[in-house]
Amino acid sequence: MLRESSTADSSSYDLTAIVGDGHAGGGVPHGVVLVAFVDAVLSGSDAELRGVRDSVRSAVGDAGFVDACATIASFNAVVKLADGTGIPLEDWKEGRTRDIREALSIDAFRA
Amino acid sequence: MMIEVGKALLPIRPELMEALEAAWLTLATPGTWWTGTERIAIATEARRAQSCALCRRRKEALSPYSIDGRHDSLDALPPEAVEAIHRLATDAGRITEKWVRHLADGALGEERYIEIVSVVAIITALDTFDRALGRPLGLLPEPVAGQPSQHRPAGARRALAWVSTLAPQDVGPSDPNPFPVHGDKNIHLALSLVPQEVFNFFDLDVELYLKDHEIRDFSHEYRTISHRQIELIAGRASAVNKCFY
Repeated sequence: MLRESSTADSSSYDLTAIVGDGHAGGGVPHGVVLVAFVDAVLSGSDAELRGVRDSVRSAVGDAGFVDACATIASFNAVVKLADGTGIPLEDWKEGRTRDIREALSIDAFRA
Repeated sequence: MMIEVGKALLPIRPELMEALEAAWLTLATPGTWWTGTERIAIATEARRAQSCALCRRRKEALSPYSIDGRHDSLDALPPEAVEAIHRLATDAGRITEKWVRHLADGALGEERYIEIVSVVAIITALDTFDRALGRPLGLLPEPVAGQPSQHRPAGARRALAWVSTLAPQDVGPSDPNPFPVHGDKNIHLALSLVPQEVFNFFDLDVELYLKDHEIRDFSHEYRTISHRQIELIAGRASAVNKCFY
């Protein structure tokens, strides 16, 4: 979806931001701090998280910050459905993402 | 509309606030297979799993299946339910078909298992939102009295996933039908053995993320952050959880 949304408005993108070490922003406005925020929420300490929140609010505003929190919440939850039931990737999705998954070694992820 | 975060008031979409409040209530309301009291116990157990010593040892092990032991549990639910809750809450990425089938075909049953998946997912969403914002964990609501309906859709079958699912074309007249509302991708079918749970989860999820028809509507930005920013966050969160679905 990052590729599709970037292509739609002719923006450049770098998908390695999704699986990289957190220093890349994917060519997305405020991408570096958003990636850092995701990492801090899902696997960082409380202190790390406190440090990033203000940066996110400064970057995308308070309403954007709340929506960023909501997006992280969604994707931290929906993974339980996929992992817990073994639903497969749709054929059309598998075909359209094969090159991305190979490039990012995402097929190493089971669900 | 505003939401309290410490001493600050931050702007929040009214639809999101309503969805959050409804989701908290669904945790306490009788489900299809578990009572309100049991659903609150599931949510409580999912939180307790974060400090469970057995779960921590399993998470650190090369294989979680090599570690035996007893969960740090409230003992308010059967042990097979506790096993399901703790694994889903702490190490879902390494769940196997064999593990799921063992629970689904055993004393727990696949219907009760699916409702556990939903409750764990909902409390995960609510707690993650609060953690990200910087709010303390929300108080779990008081259970609502009533008995589960125990309605299993006649058209459900084990064809797509590790558990039975209900295809849109097999929805019966007495089944809740979430597909016209939320869509019929495989992710919507994941909880479909208990159709009300598709509503319970996705009624919240579409306000946290985007509605199905909004996801690829790049002509309009539905959130303060852009589609690209949303998808960067989504992709990163999925990668952290080692999920490529």
